[in-house]
Amino acid sequence: MIRLKNVNKYFYKDDPREVHALCDINLTVENGEFTLFNGPSGCGKTTLLNAIGALDSIDSGKIYLDETEITTLSEQARTELRLTQMGFVFQSYNLIPVLSVEENISFIMRLRGFSDKEISERVLEISSLLEIDNKLKLLPNELSGGQQQRVAVARAVAAKPKIILADEPTANLDSKNSQILMDMMRELNKKEGMSILFASHDNLIMDGASRVIELKDGVLVDDYKK
Amino acid sequence: MFSFALKNILFYKGRSITTFILTLVSAMLFIVYVALMDGSHNSMLQNALKVYTGAIEIYHKDYRDVGGNEYLIRDVKTITDKLLHVKDVEAFSTRYETYGLLSSKEHSAASMIAGIEPQKEKLLSSIAQTLKEGEFLDENSGNCLYMGSGLVKKLKLHVGDEVSFIGGASDDSFAADIFRVCGTFKTGSFEFDSSASFINRKYFDELMYAKNMASYITIKVKNLDDVDRVNSEIMKVLDDENLESLTWKTLMKTMVKAMEVDSVFGYISLSLFLVVIFFVIMIYGFINVSSRLKEFGVLKCIGLSRANIFSLLFYEIFILSSAAIVLATPIAGYICYYYSINPIVIEGLAEMYKDYGIVSNEMPFNFDMYTIVWNIGVIYMLNFLSILYPYMYINSFEPIEASRHV
Repeated sequence: MIRLKNVNKYFYKDDPREVHALCDINLTVENGEFTLFNGPSGCGKTTLLNAIGALDSIDSGKIYLDETEITTLSEQARTELRLTQMGFVFQSYNLIPVLSVEENISFIMRLRGFSDKEISERVLEISSLLEIDNKLKLLPNELSGGQQQRVAVARAVAAKPKIILADEPTANLDSKNSQILMDMMRELNKKEGMSILFASHDNLIMDGASRVIELKDGVLVDDYKK
Repeated sequence: MFSFALKNILFYKGRSITTFILTLVSAMLFIVYVALMDGSHNSMLQNALKVYTGAIEIYHKDYRDVGGNEYLIRDVKTITDKLLHVKDVEAFSTRYETYGLLSSKEHSAASMIAGIEPQKEKLLSSIAQTLKEGEFLDENSGNCLYMGSGLVKKLKLHVGDEVSFIGGASDDSFAADIFRVCGTFKTGSFEFDSSASFINRKYFDELMYAKNMASYITIKVKNLDDVDRVNSEIMKVLDDENLESLTWKTLMKTMVKAMEVDSVFGYISLSLFLVVIFFVIMIYGFINVSSRLKEFGVLKCIGLSRANIFSLLFYEIFILSSAAIVLATPIAGYICYYYSINPIVIEGLAEMYKDYGIVSNEMPFNFDMYTIVWNIGVIYMLNFLSILYPYMYINSFEPIEASRHV
């Protein structure tokens, strides 16, 4: 479970250019929810996602992952938290260019010290689910955009984190590939039971999300379940 | 992390090849340069020791500082008997040195005249080998004088000519005689060749009233590296507070200082070269890291720790350095070995550097495994240091900031 209490974040604080990016955000995301942070560009959805993902600091308030307050953790502890509890999917895939698809998927598992047997079984399972099991030996630059994003999703979920944070994952995909990716992520959400948090203004994601949190100018303006 | 580093090396070929070549060249030049520097110092030392100065010399205390007949060694036999029992002493000989006036028909010149034991001297110094004209002394030589070529020239003498000598004997009386020039030598040391001459001790002792006396005893050790240990043993065996046993390091203080100064300048110029290499490797590493900053940002976002990033950079430079060093070491080692056996000969070198103790045109290299090993250590160290700034640069960015870097 993720809990946010009075979270505030400023850019250019105490500067004429100051932007109040997140204004007193309070929310709770239960385990296994398929949640979308929605809103126009600049509304603060990526900032919120980064704060939850311990990638960015906040100016005030508290963020809890289960009982752990992540805002007060050291850099090393936050890194450890990201490695063990979270998976990330980026807008521009961000795969490691020198590693094959198989190595990209297993990268976090290796960092976490999974055994070779566990890794090979899990890679096979996830790659089959995401229909990239015939691309395992290829390098990322040998794949299409849709395939690369599926590898990124596979990498994020392979080590079975509690939360998946996906920032505009369909922004670089056509509608067909976006739909395929969303169907697959929904399938993963059901099968693996992990919470998935999106930051997007893609209607396709909005249609598939079980909960939508609307943001405008850093303020949480609506929160509804479907 | 090791295989990830290896894949990065193979993927970023430009940076890898540049780092490899720079490390290869710098390692080779470093090993060869140090071998040449050490080799020339060893050569200076060996030449100086070969010519006349012993590795160890035993004196009566104050002979070197005050001088005079009262500080001569007066019981030579007792000391030489003791020396026979010191392990690692290869040879020794006694010398009786005095200063006197040598005169030909037209000219006079002051000279250091040394009474030597000709057969023993052959084992200790290269005086006999530096023969230029005539012949060296032997055990039966009488009033034969073996003179430096410069001194002979100064006095306008030739082999077979007579030369008169006047000096002070060991009992402070006058000693005078007519010698005959039997041979001349040229060591290459200008000062030595212009002032030294030698005579058979057996004959000279009679003239100087110096039986069982010596100015000093010169000693050759089996291995020059053991000179300090052997010297301690000699001191222990002699057990006489009136005697002092000194190694070449004390006897040739000026040369040791000159070699140290030369080494310092050598290492300074080498350091400048290595600093340039270091910065070039570091800049290439930095450019590579900058171009991969987004990748490092992503890696940090997904959970790669600072230690992981350091390991990655370390393995990358370690693999590249090792590959370059594995190739550079045998090549540079072979060059050092070859030129240690077949020194480079530069005509006129001895003439040009005679004041610095160079008496040969040969420039030998020093082939020493220990030196090569520490040279390799320095190259590794420089390469490892070159990753520190790129590492700090990566960590100066927040993960999300780095992941958005273009």
